[in-house]
Amino acid sequence: MSTTRSSYKAALEQLHHYLSGFVPLTKHEFTQFLPFVEIREFEKKVQVTREGEVERYINIIAWGLCRKYLPLRNKEITIQLASEGHVIHSELSFHHRIPSGSVVETIEPTVFFSITYESLQQLYDLSPKVERLGRIMISDLFIKKDNRYFDQLKKSTRERFLDYIRSHPHMLQRVPQKYIASYLNIKPETFSRLKHLLRKKA
Amino acid sequence: MLELLRQYVSGYVELTNEEFAFLAEALVIRSFDKRQQLLQAGEVENYMNFLVKGLARMYFFRDKTEVITNIAREGQLLSSSASFLSGNPSSYFVETLEPTTFLSITRQQLEKLYRESPRIERLGRLMTTDFVLQKEAWELECMRLDTRERFLHFVESNPELLQRVPQKYLASYLNMKPETFSRLKHLLRRRPSPVNQNW
Repeated sequence: MSTTRSSYKAALEQLHHYLSGFVPLTKHEFTQFLPFVEIREFEKKVQVTREGEVERYINIIAWGLCRKYLPLRNKEITIQLASEGHVIHSELSFHHRIPSGSVVETIEPTVFFSITYESLQQLYDLSPKVERLGRIMISDLFIKKDNRYFDQLKKSTRERFLDYIRSHPHMLQRVPQKYIASYLNIKPETFSRLKHLLRKKA
Repeated sequence: MLELLRQYVSGYVELTNEEFAFLAEALVIRSFDKRQQLLQAGEVENYMNFLVKGLARMYFFRDKTEVITNIAREGQLLSSSASFLSGNPSSYFVETLEPTTFLSITRQQLEKLYRESPRIERLGRLMTTDFVLQKEAWELECMRLDTRERFLHFVESNPELLQRVPQKYLASYLNMKPETFSRLKHLLRRRPSPVNQNW
């Protein structure tokens, strides 16, 4: 991971591009956001948000890979796997200002664009365009969440596995299998067995 | 009818009388008999519905079994929201359980309100955030609580639904077998209710 000035510049351009996918923003409008955005860097396997602490940030991943999990009776249930361009944080804790029940942890060295709760409220007051951006991004998040929820309820283990691997081919390389298995609510043994399907389909 | 909506909205933003009137003018009243379908899977949800009277549910079919994902009563929203927001076909059916009246708004009307009123856009943002948080909370609850805890938590926070909703639907919503649900009902008799400790 190189964190030189030029790679930040590239990452910020990427952020501008990403946000403009929801609401077109001029260079000037985007520049107005920057005082509210922190760039945060973490090594791999670092707990970014711990269980019991109030989530301070909403994070967009500039580069790297993270997971969110629920610690439960000596087990960890993975509830989100997020890579570049994804939003990850403990949202119930962030919005309700209550201690987090879940943990956000890096899998790879990760750089976030992060906004604190207070900064986010100030950003929303900056212009109606930010309000729109926020609304559309949240709607998008809801749609993704609903899709995942629906898939978990409706699809068979085999379908969940195949559909996920097909739509996220790079994740199999980047994420330890046990995390993907947990995310898809599949036993690790079953997950290993299902991997044979991939070879046969080639 | 509008008073209930006003109360709901004020949980998110304070609208002036003019702003609320502007919102109210964009609504349509829609009434349905019991067991009427508002929306079928595969259709696009065009309405966001605020339930003013009655009871309705949202579900899909897994093989031939109905799986209920939402039950709404007075003062709550019920729509196939992901379809409403994305414009993609709905995965779910929406159906009334009792004769039901909604205050509804179409996507086009809502977009128009958003364009003209930043405060209504803020309302939309906060409501949508709440949808996300409710989904997250429900998902975590299903992981954290076992069948028995889920049952108790649900009936304690929604006591009147036990009277109004067929048991098999509640069982489906809580992702348990109808037999399990019946069995768990015995727990309620044994537990003294918090409002009547001397019973």
